[in-house]
Amino acid sequence: MSIAALDRRTQRLRYAWSPRLLFAELLMKQWFEPVIPFTVMVALAVYFSLTIPDYATARNALSLMRLFAEFGFVALGMAFTLISGGIDLSVGAIFALCNFAALFCLFVLGLPAWLTVLATVATGAVLGSMNGLLIGYLKARPFLTTLVTLIILRAGVNLLNERFATVFATNSVDSDAWDFLGEGSVLGIPANAAALLLVLIVGHIFLSRSRYGWHLTAIGASRKAARHAGIRVERMLFATYVLSGALCALGGVFYAARQGSTDSTTGLGWEFQALTAVVLGGASLAGGRGTVWRAMIGALIIFMLINGLVRIGIPGYVTSGAMGVILLAAVGIDVKWSKNRGKVVQKTYVNPARVPLPACPAIARASASPFAQNDRLVDAEAIGLDQVEGPEDVILDRQDRVYGGTRDGNIIRFSGPRFERREVFAHIGGRPLGMQFDKDENLIVCVAGMGVYGVRPDGAVFKVTDETNRTWYKLNDDSRLRMADDLDIAPDGKIYFSDCTTRYEMTTNALDIIEGRPNGRLVCHDPATRKTSTLISHFYFPNGICVAHDGRSVFIASTTLCQIYRYWIAGPRRGELEVAIDALPGNPDNINRASDGTYWLALVGIRTPTFDLAARKPGFRLRMVKQVPGDEWLAPGLNHGCVLRFNEAGEILESFWDPTGISHSTLTSMREHKGYLYLGGLENNRIGRIKLDRGDPGWTGYAAYWGNKRRDRG
Amino acid sequence: MAVLTHFLRDMHQVLFRDAEQHAIPSMDGALSPNDALDRCRPVGEALPGADDVAEAPDGALYVSAGPRVLRLSGPGYAERAAVAEFPGAAGGLALHPDGRLLVCVAGHGLAAIDAAGGQRWLTEAEGRPLHCLTSVAVAPDGTIFASEGSRLNLPEEWCRDLLQRNRAGRVIACGPGLDAPQVLLRDLAYPHGLAVSPDGRFLWLAESWRHRVSRAPIAGRGIGPLAPVIRNLPGYPARLGPAADGGFWLAIFALRTHLIEFVLREDDFRDEMMRTVAPEYWIGPALATSGDALEPMQSGGIKALGIQKPWAPPRSYGLVARLDAEGEIVESLHSRVGGRYHGVTAARDVAQGLVIVSKGHGRLLLETSGANA
Repeated sequence: MSIAALDRRTQRLRYAWSPRLLFAELLMKQWFEPVIPFTVMVALAVYFSLTIPDYATARNALSLMRLFAEFGFVALGMAFTLISGGIDLSVGAIFALCNFAALFCLFVLGLPAWLTVLATVATGAVLGSMNGLLIGYLKARPFLTTLVTLIILRAGVNLLNERFATVFATNSVDSDAWDFLGEGSVLGIPANAAALLLVLIVGHIFLSRSRYGWHLTAIGASRKAARHAGIRVERMLFATYVLSGALCALGGVFYAARQGSTDSTTGLGWEFQALTAVVLGGASLAGGRGTVWRAMIGALIIFMLINGLVRIGIPGYVTSGAMGVILLAAVGIDVKWSKNRGKVVQKTYVNPARVPLPACPAIARASASPFAQNDRLVDAEAIGLDQVEGPEDVILDRQDRVYGGTRDGNIIRFSGPRFERREVFAHIGGRPLGMQFDKDENLIVCVAGMGVYGVRPDGAVFKVTDETNRTWYKLNDDSRLRMADDLDIAPDGKIYFSDCTTRYEMTTNALDIIEGRPNGRLVCHDPATRKTSTLISHFYFPNGICVAHDGRSVFIASTTLCQIYRYWIAGPRRGELEVAIDALPGNPDNINRASDGTYWLALVGIRTPTFDLAARKPGFRLRMVKQVPGDEWLAPGLNHGCVLRFNEAGEILESFWDPTGISHSTLTSMREHKGYLYLGGLENNRIGRIKLDRGDPGWTGYAAYWGNKRRDRG
Repeated sequence: MAVLTHFLRDMHQVLFRDAEQHAIPSMDGALSPNDALDRCRPVGEALPGADDVAEAPDGALYVSAGPRVLRLSGPGYAERAAVAEFPGAAGGLALHPDGRLLVCVAGHGLAAIDAAGGQRWLTEAEGRPLHCLTSVAVAPDGTIFASEGSRLNLPEEWCRDLLQRNRAGRVIACGPGLDAPQVLLRDLAYPHGLAVSPDGRFLWLAESWRHRVSRAPIAGRGIGPLAPVIRNLPGYPARLGPAADGGFWLAIFALRTHLIEFVLREDDFRDEMMRTVAPEYWIGPALATSGDALEPMQSGGIKALGIQKPWAPPRSYGLVARLDAEGEIVESLHSRVGGRYHGVTAARDVAQGLVIVSKGHGRLLLETSGANA
């Protein structure tokens, strides 16, 4: 392994061990939201294990699960209504009434167990449908409506209890099925907990993977927008309250099976416990946010707290008070958290690192350096002046037509003897960047924000690839191509391309340079197998890609490090990466083949002493990003144009400059074609062309890759 | 540690709202950008190093440019003649009521030149040499006031003085015969412009690094307490020249930018920059933009479609503001990013119009269209 590989490994280590970066990426994750309630839950469990004897035993766990399950159902019903943007205060009363209904069916009506279950669930659904009708169709306020239902149902339960309490107390049934519901176990888990688990899984799939679940969340997030999107809001809301009622009924069935009795305290105050639990779990009171699991985390916290405090011997009123305080805190955190999480991510997402920049070669006119400035590009002939917006890359086809990808997502083509005919060759969208013709003369294009696309000679656009394999240990999902930048095609047809950053976008990629971390990668797509795979996964802003003339290696430009690398794709050194040019006076962009077996290289930016100094000071850059507006950030010199030519050994042979960017600034690409060099710029309003002194007038890019100018065969 | 210092600085900004470290105000109202300065007519050939201008009673102009002082006269100031040559760069100028020309000479002191060409020098005050005199003004009674930008740097090293955050400037007074110099004010943040109000009652003072103009009542050879007139300018003020209506023309030789203000808070970065980078490539204000590829660049300055935005963060800028007699800014002339005349160090109303010195581009400009002319 070379030193470069070793170096890369240490860089990777440092990359992986930035706590700020980890924190920012964690915060971006949806599943990280319930981290606070989850921690509280674990802490509670640990605390009670330490203070209550025999708490951390399997037996205790099982008995707690049996006690918890019914409350879990009720909390779940509450969660669904909260996510839909409403609230169901009648859950406790419905639960109590269904408990009564189950006992009534069993003892008074003498129904079999299965019918009892069905009838009870139906009762719950009917009770819920009253809420649903009022809230969904009559547009009543959920809070008041369910409060009223709560009062009425509670009164009803108390009346019925008084009449039937003695009946229930003196009756019993001999039903194995019913006993199983109350005391049985499935695979060692109490039956009611097993049922809850099953319902949770179904509920989770329903909420997060089904269309109706999404509709429910959408209504909670914005009722008006949901209606405008064509969601049947009334029906969904109605169904939600029916669902809530049915879930409470399920809880009621299990409670009835377990307790076999009813009294005035059954389910009393559960609506507030459930509300506290669900909000604590991170469901937003404003609706549209929350998951089944988070609701359960909240419910577990509340349950463990009540249960634990009782067992420690704290009086009930203190427990109630504690619940109130917890609800207050949860609501406060709910508001602050949802409001500020994005800000925290924003503040911590950019994490500059020290950039190991090589020494900067001289560019002064008088210096003997091969980089010395001159005026060879100042008088470049302009093609399509003011008719193109930022042709990042330019390419010519066999019919001598010039193509440029522009900011508005087009590929513009100029043809005619003086390139006076302008046409939109294809509209891809995204931001077309690097281009290359494949063997069949399809124009393969890197499109920032989209991936790699192709354009057939007739202008039809097709997708080549837009994803690669995901790195398993990375938090940021990097399977999508974020910013495919430049590509080249090897003799075997494989497309090698750079994805210059996995953390930023086209509009924010300056931040990647400021961050100075190896966020980019080299990716290969094989059209034969239609497989895309990442070859190098941590690379400092890979930009230009060029397959060497012999087809055995690929040149990669590192814009951040101001270096050119060579990656071997064939032969004994296959898979190795080495430095080809170790120090450039600027930030390299595209690389392309020259007619005499050498290579062209564009410098998009010129290194300035102050930017180099900032590269050594990550703290300075971090504070700059935070304290200084984006337009005022320090940047490399971008208002200069420079093209270099280098050979296979990485020696710079000559330079072409527009030192003050009169015709060509932010120069990003160049193509040699029949004795001329064509120039493109990321921010320019033209394509340029200069006559080369020693250019081969018969040489074209297509011939060098697929025709009679190939150098890869003997 | 760093967290603490930043916190203290933040608190300082909150608690001391008039302190110099302060948010850059936006340029609106009378300071709204225009291109009036770009439209001004240059007077004759370029004058490399042109720095200050004074008007003789006969209507001729004295201009300091490099080591020389020139006399420009005739219609359109077409005639030029060298008046004096010095061993250092000539800076601030003033005419004494008795006809002598007072010249600040970098590295040496204050020279008084009489009609016959005889020179008399003031080279130190309170035992310290006057190496960085920036401006000189004379009260009606003949008392001479001079400002020393910094005792630590020469005038051409002004950018270093800013980046060192020095408060090492002085204002001195002496008699008409350059005698009995006394220090009136010390620890100033680069006093760059001095002027005596037309009624002779006030001494006006522009301090570059504190971005402010203040004034003090004149009492014989001394002055009363200094009171700020304009706080927190968006740029670095240079000289104050008389305006026709009794106010002043304030030359603002460069604008503050968020990046420079930021770098001024970054001690470690600034120290290393001054140690390892050539001064012309420092992050700091400049009198002119050279287009050199090694100059610091800010991302907003990128040329898009061949055009650099005039509102891009300015490395150099041309700005002259007119203050009324109370110090209120009433009018301004701009040359924005990419403009022709940056780094204005002096401006004053003269017989033929408004004359402006663009040191950045080495030009003397004459504006004759203004109502104030």
